[in-house]
Order: sequence, then structure tokens, then C-alpha cells
Amino acid sequence: MSNVANAVDPSAFSGALLAEHKRGERNKKVYGILRAFLPFVGLIILWWGIHAYFDPAPTKLVAPGTVVDAFFESTREGVLPAYIVQSLQRLGFGVLIGILVGIPTGWLLGLDKDIAKAAEPTLRFFNAVSGIAWLPLMISWFGFTERTISSVIIYTMIFPVVFNTMVGVRTVSPVLRDAMRSMGASWPRIIKDVYVPGSFPSVMTGLRLGVGFGWRALIAGEFVVGGGGLGFYIFDARTAGVIERVMLGMIVLGVLWLLMDRLILRPVEEYTATKWGMVRQ
Amino acid sequence: MTTERAGAAPAASATLTVDHLSHWFIDQQTGTTVHALDDINLQIQPGEFVTVVGPSGCGKTTLLKILAGFIKPSQGEARVGDKAITKPGPDRGVVFQELAILPWRNVYRNIAHGLEIQKVPKAERDQRVGELIELVGLAGFENHHPHQLSGGMRQRVAVARTWAANPEIILMDEPFAAVDAMTRQTLQEELNRISVETGKTVFFITHSVEEAVFLGDRVIAMTARPGRVKEAVVVPIPRSERTWLSMSNEPAMAQCVDEVLGLVKGEHEATMVADGTAEEV
Repeated sequence: MSNVANAVDPSAFSGALLAEHKRGERNKKVYGILRAFLPFVGLIILWWGIHAYFDPAPTKLVAPGTVVDAFFESTREGVLPAYIVQSLQRLGFGVLIGILVGIPTGWLLGLDKDIAKAAEPTLRFFNAVSGIAWLPLMISWFGFTERTISSVIIYTMIFPVVFNTMVGVRTVSPVLRDAMRSMGASWPRIIKDVYVPGSFPSVMTGLRLGVGFGWRALIAGEFVVGGGGLGFYIFDARTAGVIERVMLGMIVLGVLWLLMDRLILRPVEEYTATKWGMVRQ
Repeated sequence: MTTERAGAAPAASATLTVDHLSHWFIDQQTGTTVHALDDINLQIQPGEFVTVVGPSGCGKTTLLKILAGFIKPSQGEARVGDKAITKPGPDRGVVFQELAILPWRNVYRNIAHGLEIQKVPKAERDQRVGELIELVGLAGFENHHPHQLSGGMRQRVAVARTWAANPEIILMDEPFAAVDAMTRQTLQEELNRISVETGKTVFFITHSVEEAVFLGDRVIAMTARPGRVKEAVVVPIPRSERTWLSMSNEPAMAQCVDEVLGLVKGEHEATMVADGTAEEV
């Protein structure tokens, strides 16, 4: 018994275990990526199959390969990259203003019940009138301009930001506030140490929703207003009957959103709320 | 607040006085006036550990909140030394029943929070926090976040945070009610040891008679609503000699428990009969 145990070099043993563990982790990662991509592969095959089977007119539906060609062509021309940058800039500006206005407003409503009660019905009313419904009015005010597009984005994203910030501030446990007060903390200190981090996960949810809504409003704005951007790219391609560019534009919309979510919004959430145990994965 | 925060915590020096204190409030649900506390008179000496037991709804927590300065009494006053309590302050630390440590701060930063607020220099802060982490047995968990800890460990953090801030008086509201029975005994022994070592004045609320006798120099039994001081029982065993092992074989402990149980039991039955509205003798 003891001889057998002695025969095993413990360091080699744990080294092998560690290697196996690492391999397991790597496999898990590979599996995770596969799991996320496989449905897309399935969809592309389905698309290809439908196209091959029905053989539709090129003004109705094109094959995946044609869209890939269109991607390289548009990229070479520089149209697509330029329009992507333009759309992202518009979104970025809208999001910046949305944050600057939405988060303080949400805070005000979260901290003051009377103001919240007075403002809520109005906010809910305007929230129900979508930003896109405002487009005709905005065009008649601002014309076919950047201002119209920005206004629609800001209008659309501000409500989820305001509401979620308000909820976040409201749901901070009063015990945490009392604990801070009993340690002699001033109000600014309590805001900084308790309410800002405590409301943060909810603010992030609001931003994620808001940016997502804003992204859609942006495309609608670019459809109608024009003047470049991915929405214009899609709409313009349809007018010209170039269906592969319409489909390419749509795919780019989705891919860009996935990238924004993965590269910016999710990491922020993971670094904060998940680390604090406020989001269960 | 205090200038004597350097090094080991100084023993408490001020008497806590409750002087003809009564309190009424309006029940938000029924709209009726609730007479919570009636003419409470207490004097707690520096370094004394006083435990309070009474039936649910007898106003124990209300009394603690008044002492903490979270609510103002309807009549009479409470004083630290000769200074009337009007608001929360760092001279009175509070340990709550619910989780009141900050989920987004790790163990170290939670315990250091009170010292940070008091602007204690970092070197001194590190030393104090290090001592307390040692004292409550959290060494090695400095960088853990609360969600990674067990319920008992979280309450240890809360206790350490309150002690670190070095208040004159520590108010505890059923701090161990939510942890399992085994952990509770350990926490009670640790609290006993810490309070003996630091010589702090402690006002401790509980509904467990055993806990009250085990921890207290003096056990105060309260009547059913409106809460009055019914009787105080002195526990004639030096606190420095108390462990659960020694106390369970201690006739004086059993005697005190019986006595307090007798006092509280009558009140509990009165509450049952009159459904919390009994006018006790």
C-alpha cells in the first residue's frame, strides 16, 4: 500500500493533473465558441439551400457567396467602412448625450419620490410614443439633418436609461445607507460609496437596452434622412435593386451589435456586477 | 470625532443613558397610532455589555434605532455622556441583522470603511484592520467579496467593521439571527472575547434568552407593546470566563436563563392573547 503510494512522484502527478485541467479549460472554451457559432452556420446553410432550391430572381434573394463578394467590393470601394464609421459616430454621439441627460434624470427620480410621482406618467406616455414616430415631426423641425438623426437616437435611448437608473437607485438597500450614516459618512460620501456602485448594475442594464434601442432608431433615421450611414446604405441599395448590398447591410448591423455587446458592454458588467455577486451567471 | 484613535482601541468612557423615553408612530397600513415604547429608563455603564430580550413587536428595534439616531423619540431622550442623541454618529457603531456590508467592497475595504471616512492615515488604517481581521478570524480572506463568504463570515466582517471604526458604544440588532446554530455559538464566543478585550460598551438586542444570558453582564427583559423595561437580571459570571462549554455546565447560567425565560414567557403569552395590542401591567 505504502510502497505503491511512494512509487508515485507527487509533483509529476499534480503536473499531469494541472495539464489535464488546462486542457479541459481550453476544450470548454472551444466548445463555448462552437456552441455560439453553430446556429449561424446552420442558418447560412439553410439560406444557401433555399436559394439553391427556389432559384429566385437576383432582385429577391441572392446566395451567401454573392453577399460575401459584395462585402469585399464595398470594402474595396471604401463605402462600407466609411458608412460604418458614420453610423457608429452618430450612435456614439447619441449615447453620450443620452448618458449625460438620462443618468442624472434617473438619479433625481430615484432619490426624490415626489418628483418621480409627478414625472412618471409623462415619461411613460412619451416612452410609448416611439422615437421613430417622432421622425416626421422632427424632419419638419430640423429638416433632413444630423440633428434629426441624433434627436431620434437620444429620444429612443433615454427612457430605458432613465427608468433603469431610477430603479437602481431606489433598490439600494436602506440598511447600507443607515450603516454609512452610523459610521459618520456625509451625504456625498454615501452617494459615492453606496448609491453609485449599488445602482450601477441597473444603470448598465438601462444602457444596454438604451444603446440597443438607439441602434435601431439610428437605422430608421438613416432610412428616412439619408446622408450616409448603414441605414442609408441599405435603403439606397434597395432603390438601386442591389439586393446583396441590402442583405450585407443587415448582416453588418447584427455583427456590429454583437461586437459592441461583447467588447464593451459585457466586459464592463463582468468587471463590476458579476464580481460583486450582483448578477448570477 | 475622537482624537484617541491611535493604536489599540481605548475602552469606552461615556455612560449611555435613556431618560423617560417614550415613542409613538403611525402604522402606515392600518393608520392607527402605535405606542411602541413607554417610559424607558436605562443606564449603561462604560464597558458594560447589556442584552435586551422581549417578545416580537415590543419595540426593541425601535429603541436601538433611537439610540443609533435613525429616529427621534416622541418623548424623553437618550444621551451619550451628557450629550443628547439627535442623529447618527461615529461614536455609536451599529451591527445590523441584515447584510449591511457593501457587496462591491472586498473584506479588507469593508472593514476599513469607517476608518476611511474618519480619514485615518493609511498606515494606521492597515494596522487596525489587520488586527481586527486577525481578531475575527478572517485572515486570508482580505480580498474576497461578500458573496464569496458564508453568512457567518459576512457578519464577522460587519462586526469587524464596526469595531475598527472605534465607536464608544456598539449597538447590535439580532446580528446572529440569520446564521445557523453552530456558527452562531462560535460567533457569540468571538463577540464575547472581542468585547472583553476591547472593553467596549455593547447594547445587544436578541430574541434568544440563551444568547442574552451568555453575552450580557445584564439582561433586560421588556414587556409586550408598549415596550417597558420589566426587569433586569444580572449574570453573575465574569464575561472573560465564558465559553459555551463552561457555560452549559454552569448552574448560575441555567438559573439566569430560567429567570429571564419566566419574565419573557409571560409577555409572549400576553402578546398571543391580545395579538400585540395588550396593555400589560
